[in-house]
Amino acid sequence: MRKPYVQRQRADWWLRNPAYRRYMLREATALPLLFYTLLLMSGLYQFTRGEAAFLGWLELLRNPWLLALHGVALAAALFHAVTWIALVPKILVIDTDRLRVSPTVVKRLHQVGAVVCNVGLLLLVLLLVGGGR
Amino acid sequence: MTETVTVRVQRYRPEEDQEPWAQSFEVPYSEDLSILDALNQIKDQQDPTLSHRWSCRMAICGSCGVMINGEPRLACKTFLRDYRGKDALEVRALDNFPIERDLVSDISGFIDHLETVQPWLIRSDEQPVSAGAYRQTPEQMQRYAAFSQCINCGLCYAACPQFGRDPAFLGPAALTLAQRYNLDSRDEGASQRMNWLNAEAGVWSCTFVGYCSQVCPKDVDPAAAINQGKVASDINYAVNLFNILRGKDDA
Ligand code: SF4
Ligand code: FES
Repeated sequence: MRKPYVQRQRADWWLRNPAYRRYMLREATALPLLFYTLLLMSGLYQFTRGEAAFLGWLELLRNPWLLALHGVALAAALFHAVTWIALVPKILVIDTDRLRVSPTVVKRLHQVGAVVCNVGLLLLVLLLVGGGR
Repeated sequence: MTETVTVRVQRYRPEEDQEPWAQSFEVPYSEDLSILDALNQIKDQQDPTLSHRWSCRMAICGSCGVMINGEPRLACKTFLRDYRGKDALEVRALDNFPIERDLVSDISGFIDHLETVQPWLIRSDEQPVSAGAYRQTPEQMQRYAAFSQCINCGLCYAACPQFGRDPAFLGPAALTLAQRYNLDSRDEGASQRMNWLNAEAGVWSCTFVGYCSQVCPKDVDPAAAINQGKVASDINYAVNLFNILRGKDDA
């Protein structure tokens, strides 16, 4: 007589193995980014309500708790970017009869691209702020 | 006095048990004893009713997969010495599969998934046998070589929380096999397999947990294969969309 025992996935499966905990940590980096997005959107909303409202929002940003949360969001974004770029060569394999790019080069190009984009964006913002003065 | 090790072995006897339970056995310790040797020792000398699967004893047949202290491993490729000094040594049937009896899992769902992706050379027209073998260069073979090392042990399925959540997910080894044939220069079946890659149970059910690649005893790297499948699926989507927009029939 067959009577297979069906194993159900437990709700706490992700707590039971260090590999799953690391995975969940990486997924959880979305949460600080959600916070950051909501904060930016609230800023935009205050902007539509006039100067006083917007200045109030800017003032709010100086709150040490919010600053700390910004730090967390930045760390989460960096962690996500670094671990993601480390995985890219596994996914983006350029190896045909005509063109071959080594995995290390694929990774380096992504790293350089990320740095260039971020520094570029930062410079652009600084330039705009400087020009607005 | 010889040193012994306590091994907690999961038991499930469908005739009498409602759910699995653990039974402890004492096994004489030796440096070169594998977990499989220990299980065989228990079965031969202590309890002949213990059921477990094995054949090759050398990490080739893929039949001895079990959970050892919570990790999916081949019993023949894991040794008592690795657990010396640890509090416990616990052997269970593979996670995510129904348990048939003791350490024996029902892997039929996994085998069906392997078949689903049509893991053989598909040709639009077969060349006659007299024309000889389909040839390919060593470089062409290298592109899929790692993905062809799979021994169908199912460890990656025991490691995959997405398969645990939904057994319909084709899962690591099957999707890797699809990618293995799609990358083979002799194969012309990629468009047929694309239906399975694109499906709900295909590559997009993977969230890149990546534990499958960690536990694979053959360094197949199924997580890489699946995510390369996502790139292929994206390209396929874009090409189909382009064709539809141009008024051509979709592929
Ligand atoms: S991919 Fe690796 S872990 Fe998965 S069935 Fe094949 S050999 Fe086993
Ligand atoms: S007995 Fe064959 S893989 Fe372990």
